[in-house]
Amino acid sequence: MEEKKTRKRLQANTALRQIIVDFYAEGHRAKAEGRPVIWIPPMNGLIELFYAMGITPVFPENWAPLCAAIGTNRKNFEYAAKRGFSGDLCGYFRNNVGYALDGINEENQPLNGLPAPDFLISFGAGCIPTMKAFQVMCDHFKVPVFKADLPQVAMEKIEKRHIAYGVAQIKRLIRFLEDETGLKFDIDKLRQAVIHTNEACRLWDEIMALRSTVPSPFSAAEIGIMFVMVTRHGTEIAVNFLKDVLREVNEKVARGEGVIPHEKIRLFWDNIPLWYNMQLFNYFEKWDAVVVAETYTSAWSLRLNPDEPLESIAYKSLVSYPLVSCVSLNKRIELITRAVRDYKIDGAILHSNRSCRPISMGQMDIGRVLADELSVPSVMFDGDHMDSEKFSMAQFQTRVDALMEMILEKKRAS
Amino acid sequence: MRSSKLEDLVHRHKEIARQEKEKTGRPVFGTLCSYVPVEILHAFDILPVRLWGDGKNHERADALLPTYICPPARNIMAMGLAGHYDFLDGVIHSYTCDATCGLFNIWCRNLKPAFSFLLSPPYMNTDEAVAYCIAEFKALIAALEDYTGKQYSAERLQKSIDLYDSAREHIGAIYQANRNGATVRYLDLHQMNLALQVLPIERVVPFYDAYLSNLRMSPGKGAKHRIMISGSVVSDPDILARIEALGGDIVADDTCLGYRLVQQRVPPHEDPLSALARYYLDRPPCSSRADFPARKDYIRETISAFDVNAVIFMHQKFCEPHLADHPFLKNVLAEKGIPQVQLELEGEGLSGQIQTRLEGFFEMLEAG
Repeated sequence: MEEKKTRKRLQANTALRQIIVDFYAEGHRAKAEGRPVIWIPPMNGLIELFYAMGITPVFPENWAPLCAAIGTNRKNFEYAAKRGFSGDLCGYFRNNVGYALDGINEENQPLNGLPAPDFLISFGAGCIPTMKAFQVMCDHFKVPVFKADLPQVAMEKIEKRHIAYGVAQIKRLIRFLEDETGLKFDIDKLRQAVIHTNEACRLWDEIMALRSTVPSPFSAAEIGIMFVMVTRHGTEIAVNFLKDVLREVNEKVARGEGVIPHEKIRLFWDNIPLWYNMQLFNYFEKWDAVVVAETYTSAWSLRLNPDEPLESIAYKSLVSYPLVSCVSLNKRIELITRAVRDYKIDGAILHSNRSCRPISMGQMDIGRVLADELSVPSVMFDGDHMDSEKFSMAQFQTRVDALMEMILEKKRAS
Repeated sequence: MRSSKLEDLVHRHKEIARQEKEKTGRPVFGTLCSYVPVEILHAFDILPVRLWGDGKNHERADALLPTYICPPARNIMAMGLAGHYDFLDGVIHSYTCDATCGLFNIWCRNLKPAFSFLLSPPYMNTDEAVAYCIAEFKALIAALEDYTGKQYSAERLQKSIDLYDSAREHIGAIYQANRNGATVRYLDLHQMNLALQVLPIERVVPFYDAYLSNLRMSPGKGAKHRIMISGSVVSDPDILARIEALGGDIVADDTCLGYRLVQQRVPPHEDPLSALARYYLDRPPCSSRADFPARKDYIRETISAFDVNAVIFMHQKFCEPHLADHPFLKNVLAEKGIPQVQLELEGEGLSGQIQTRLEGFFEMLEAG
């Protein structure tokens, strides 16, 4: 009988589970031992600074996908709704606000929940829902707040003045953290953290590049490995984990082992996955199709300069959000165009994501570029990366099936 | 209405911009937000025109925008695709909300204006932020020099600032007159605010001047329901008229168009560019650029300054900045015992649902 069983799980997932458990345990341990815990926005590039200063960072936005996977997101949505927050707001926002204001007080939370913050950042930067979620938290938790400021600049337009302003903000943050915690900033420790991040980004690119192999050694179902890119940048934990992933993936490539046995169709995924339904990526298997590249995983395709650690983390902060959003649509189209060529893409799945307007805006343009300039068919489906009630499996299947038939017909014709 | 002539000009603003361009050769630039420093454009003899949509007839935008983007943004895109703005030479945006940033990029990609620029202003107003903002303005100026072939002139900028300041001063004075019981209709103020955004500045100041000099006191006016409206783009005069008809005297606002923009003048400074940066950063920030303390300050101060006793939130569907602020602001109002109601605008103007909500609200105010 023909083998159809998915071999999608990387062994590295066992280590990843432990890294996730350890990360949350570390926050609770810091809290119990009286060491400072700070809640910070995601993808802000400053994680290296906190690790360098011995301050434990917590990322509510990283907590949200876990809530969605576990199922506690629904309860958090209810809490947010009871507080008067509209259901039209981003699911990350509703989950994180609902959790921070009420869910955090629940007994028996998975991973013991999040340790309450000793400090918070209220910032202008990133997307509106993230910015606003932190404003809600700053209003709620009566803890010292650092007001951060980072302009929204298209990646290709970043100039020295933007970096210089970012560095000025980071220096102000350092003074705030030193004053509040009594801890001292050490530029050499930051430099070391930047070295780790740079190495993690290099490894990340190498791992992702291996997905251009036919058959692809792993699929978008493994996107969870980016946990270390969000939470463990600046540490050896990310570097060591990614080295193991790279080794495993290299071995799979050497063996010619694909994530599915008979890969026929290679897909690109645009926008954030459905965190409550990661099994969705398995659906493509019935067509011998695999998602081999995504927009979201490109967010860490960058290099830092350890000789200029402050400038490096300022740059990382500036590019993290625009790289995957519509701050620069042309850059995003350039990225997808390159991915289509590098990863030998046959078709694209565009997730029109009600919870993420910045990524969803521009998808019609992307679809047209795919069709007109790259001859790559695509399909768009309505969904939401946090809220299953805004996703229809039937609609998804109908649209994906049509796309797959089209791709196969195209392949047959050629 | 005494400002009917102005209302007519506002209604014909695209035609006027087109005529101005044909007559004078001035380039016309579209702007998507009140944070674009129009004074700089004016100093280069460029006519700024705020892209303005009422949220209706937005279906044409479905080819480029998701349906869960606010109706005004979709309406603006639809008008662009229909050629209503084909006279534009450029488009400038200053990053505020995610939706307009996306709109700016999609507009540029599809309608291909000869000039486009995305300003990235800071969110704070520290000295460092002002210095950075000046650098952003200088980048814009360099791009404009390149486009127009003209040299930047501080003297010209000062003249443009003076002109806009004069307009702001007039409108600010009309708000104050309204506050003090003069015969002001908010619908007139709405048209004046809009005129400041969409018409050549030289043409609007005389209207403000005339309006101000013709004001009379109206004893007892608005004594009962002194309303503040709050939201992003408020573009439905029908709804404003209905509020008036139900007995509401709109005396203050918290929108993308109103009092926040005219409350202050550009501070005197030997360098007009520095002064302009200071003005934009000192202005009470919009929801997309403010933290809660700043929002709270503006709402409290304005309610107090205008003796507001009820608030009507006019929220565009899917407007994340304002929807996120809403529960917080409701709490601020509850602390002060000020009643409020939320209208959700879906691009249908004065719908039956909105009428019902407004009527219910005013019945409650009457009873209360």
